[in-house]
Amino acid sequence: MSVNKIWKDINDEKDVELTSLIKKGNWGKLASHNPLQSIKKTLLMNIAWTAIICIAYMVIIFYFNYWQMQLSIGVVFIFSLWALYTAYILYKKIKSTVSSSASLLSELKRHHQSVTNWINMQQKIALFIYPVSVVGGFLLGGVIGSGKSVEALISKPLFFYTLFGAIIIVVPACYYLAKWMFTRSFGKHLQALQENIDALESEK
Amino acid sequence: MNETTFLEQVRQNQGIIYKLVSLYANDAEEKKDLYQEVLLQAWKGWHTFRQESKFSTWLYRICLNTIFTQQRKKHRVEYKESLEAFSPAIQNGVFINEDVVRLRQAIRQLSETDRAIISMHLDGYENSEVADMLGISNNNVAVKLHRIKQQLGNLLTV
Repeated sequence: MSVNKIWKDINDEKDVELTSLIKKGNWGKLASHNPLQSIKKTLLMNIAWTAIICIAYMVIIFYFNYWQMQLSIGVVFIFSLWALYTAYILYKKIKSTVSSSASLLSELKRHHQSVTNWINMQQKIALFIYPVSVVGGFLLGGVIGSGKSVEALISKPLFFYTLFGAIIIVVPACYYLAKWMFTRSFGKHLQALQENIDALESEK
Repeated sequence: MNETTFLEQVRQNQGIIYKLVSLYANDAEEKKDLYQEVLLQAWKGWHTFRQESKFSTWLYRICLNTIFTQQRKKHRVEYKESLEAFSPAIQNGVFINEDVVRLRQAIRQLSETDRAIISMHLDGYENSEVADMLGISNNNVAVKLHRIKQQLGNLLTV
């Protein structure tokens, strides 16, 4: 039997269970597992949480009347606003629906780029925000925990050593933890996309 | 261009979805997930369908773009096709012969992009149409197709 004839037989195959999915009003029940859709959901959660955290920072800035703390929390606040804005821009930019007009190669590249952009953005934000967050958190925790003023706290060299130690440990730890999580979540997917891009671009 | 028309078009062309999904899914669960995702993406993109092209070509593109960008299981699991797995098809009166199983298994042993090229070729698409859908040159399609046919021939004669 010729390959074309066998292929024709394959074309005639149907599956009752899968066919039952094609029915009116079923679209709301179908959940998309598109990775870009998941990233968009995560971005939306990030935006919501960052907005809540920004409000909390504002409360702290007005409640604690120590300029050192207001300065460090203020810096974190500005970075958080920047993170919120960046997340929003990326959220708007990511198109989670599959294009019916783009070629497979350009869809693969767009997909790969969107996932990579998101990972890079998260890592950049982490590198800038974690150190200032540690300083802000340290001052806040110190003031609330000890009941002393910021001046009293920073007058002790031990405070600076501990703060420096915390930054040295926490920032790389968080950065590499995030990197590991991204690799675990999207590493294989990115690799598969890249392999198919390379396969299509290869002239061999 | 309402939902009823869309459903009618999809029902008439559901073989495309089923066939392509079966070439890429690693197990029955993934097959269902991919099938659902294609349906959803087709429904979301339905407003972009222009009557200038055939619905089947439009659906083909949606299918490939969805399957390739979906997060799938990395390791190729040998998807053993047994008669039980096809019981719904058998109930439907479609006879699954050994040749079908052999051809599908041979195609599944090709690389992912090669599977797309050979299925489009077998579905009667011209090299220029395959090139347009994949985003590569005509020449590249011809070269790849020649190699794929040789590879497939070897796999089927084993």
